[in-house]
Amino acid sequence: MHALLQLGQTLFAAANSGPVEGASFLGLAVYFGLLLAILAGLMAYAKRGFGVQVFKNPITVLFEHLYLFIENMCVGSIGPNGRKYIPYIMTLWMVIFLSNVMALFFPEAPTADLNFNLGLAVMTILYVQIEGIRTNGFFGHLKHFAGPKLGIWMIPISGMIFCIEIISELMKNLSLSLRLYGNIHGGHMAVESMNALGTSIYIPIGAFLMPLKVLTCVVQALIFTLLTCVYLSLVTHHDVEDHAEAASSVAHAH
Amino acid sequence: MLGLGLGIAALGCGLGLGWIGNGALQGMARQPEAIGKLQIQMLIALAFVELVFLLTLFIAPGNFAGK
Amino acid sequence: MAFGGIILMVLGTYGSVNWHFSFIESLNKMGLPIEPGKTVATIGVMLILLPVLRYFFIGPLQEVIDHRNHELESTFAEAENLRGEMKKMRSDFEARLAETEATAREQIQNQIREAQNLRQQLMNEAAERADTMVRQAQMEIEQEKLNALMVIRSHVVDLTLAAAEKVIGENMDTDKNRRLINEYIETLEVSA
Repeated sequence: MHALLQLGQTLFAAANSGPVEGASFLGLAVYFGLLLAILAGLMAYAKRGFGVQVFKNPITVLFEHLYLFIENMCVGSIGPNGRKYIPYIMTLWMVIFLSNVMALFFPEAPTADLNFNLGLAVMTILYVQIEGIRTNGFFGHLKHFAGPKLGIWMIPISGMIFCIEIISELMKNLSLSLRLYGNIHGGHMAVESMNALGTSIYIPIGAFLMPLKVLTCVVQALIFTLLTCVYLSLVTHHDVEDHAEAASSVAHAH
Repeated sequence: MLGLGLGIAALGCGLGLGWIGNGALQGMARQPEAIGKLQIQMLIALAFVELVFLLTLFIAPGNFAGK
Repeated sequence: MAFGGIILMVLGTYGSVNWHFSFIESLNKMGLPIEPGKTVATIGVMLILLPVLRYFFIGPLQEVIDHRNHELESTFAEAENLRGEMKKMRSDFEARLAETEATAREQIQNQIREAQNLRQQLMNEAAERADTMVRQAQMEIEQEKLNALMVIRSHVVDLTLAAAEKVIGENMDTDKNRRLINEYIETLEVSA
């Protein structure tokens, strides 16, 4: 008990004197807890409408549309075996989208914190690696990094491709998390800057950015999940060679 | 100096986004049945272009702060 | 998975208080507010959240939607079957209807043919009977004529005999005379 109290005191102290901008550990925990509470409430309400053949509960209908959309996305980009990734992708979508919507109304939100996004991205990339190893075997998955078969004389080039692929795999974490963080946090920053323009005349100019921010909410959640789907399709496609190459050329564009 | 750099970065990002939108719209106009696929590919491309600008945004202040 | 999540959460909480890396601090100065403790704790929470959501919400939702789709498909298949059956029944019915119609038409044709035959027969009979009657009448007329001629002839013979008696003054009514006169009258008739 005493240790818990001490931990709380330490966290509060850290929150009050944070050297880093953004929410402290405690702040992130509070906002994440709020997010989970909203999510749990919505889902508990939606679960009540499950009994009927055609959903009448509007929240249930929303979740149904979300499910169908995500199923479409998974099956469309991963292939017919993409249905087993639906729970993962849907959880990601719900957390990110709800957090983005929270960012519209609260000064801070989980996705407006780089560490939260980095957590999601690291988890996603690890999951992708695990899925790749599960489908192709460990060495098959490593071979996937070495690029196309170039022959015995091209082993140095294959080695270089291997290194670059490993770096690119590591950078995927950063790119996924920085994109989300930059968009949501950047939205906050832009609103603050524009509000600062209008302080002398008492007009919150930043509020006019709302439509753009709403669009960003949807698009960023979509892009995060879509890129997850693309990465999954890259490591799970092993029979269709040229398709994987075409998709990997897209993924290496960054 | 930092503001000018950011402005140049934003200019490049805007040009890139505009070109992507242009290409995607032309493709959609030519083949309306491919709109779904084109939209998703367009969003992926937009995300990559945006990322370049965001990287600039995050790296620039660290390197140029105080100079 | 959930156990690993709890461990990661505790580790993240510990790390957010105790971990201080110079690398991370230089990144913080560059404008990337990275705190590894928060990241680790986030991964932990998400690791708990994934199976929980899957078990309590997404699984049931998936089940409900799949069940509904399955039911819809089976209903559609059933409707398709019923429709095929109905079509078959309808074609059967139509075939039977056509058959009945053909039979009825044939019967009507037969009746008409029979009636026509009967009519023809009746007309033939009637014509025959009329012919017979006409022929009989003609024969009777002929007979009457012959009778009348006979009567007239005998009368003429009597008259001639009477006249000759008067002329000659004696009775000439003998068989020989009568035969003579008759022969004469026949020659007259032939010449006439």
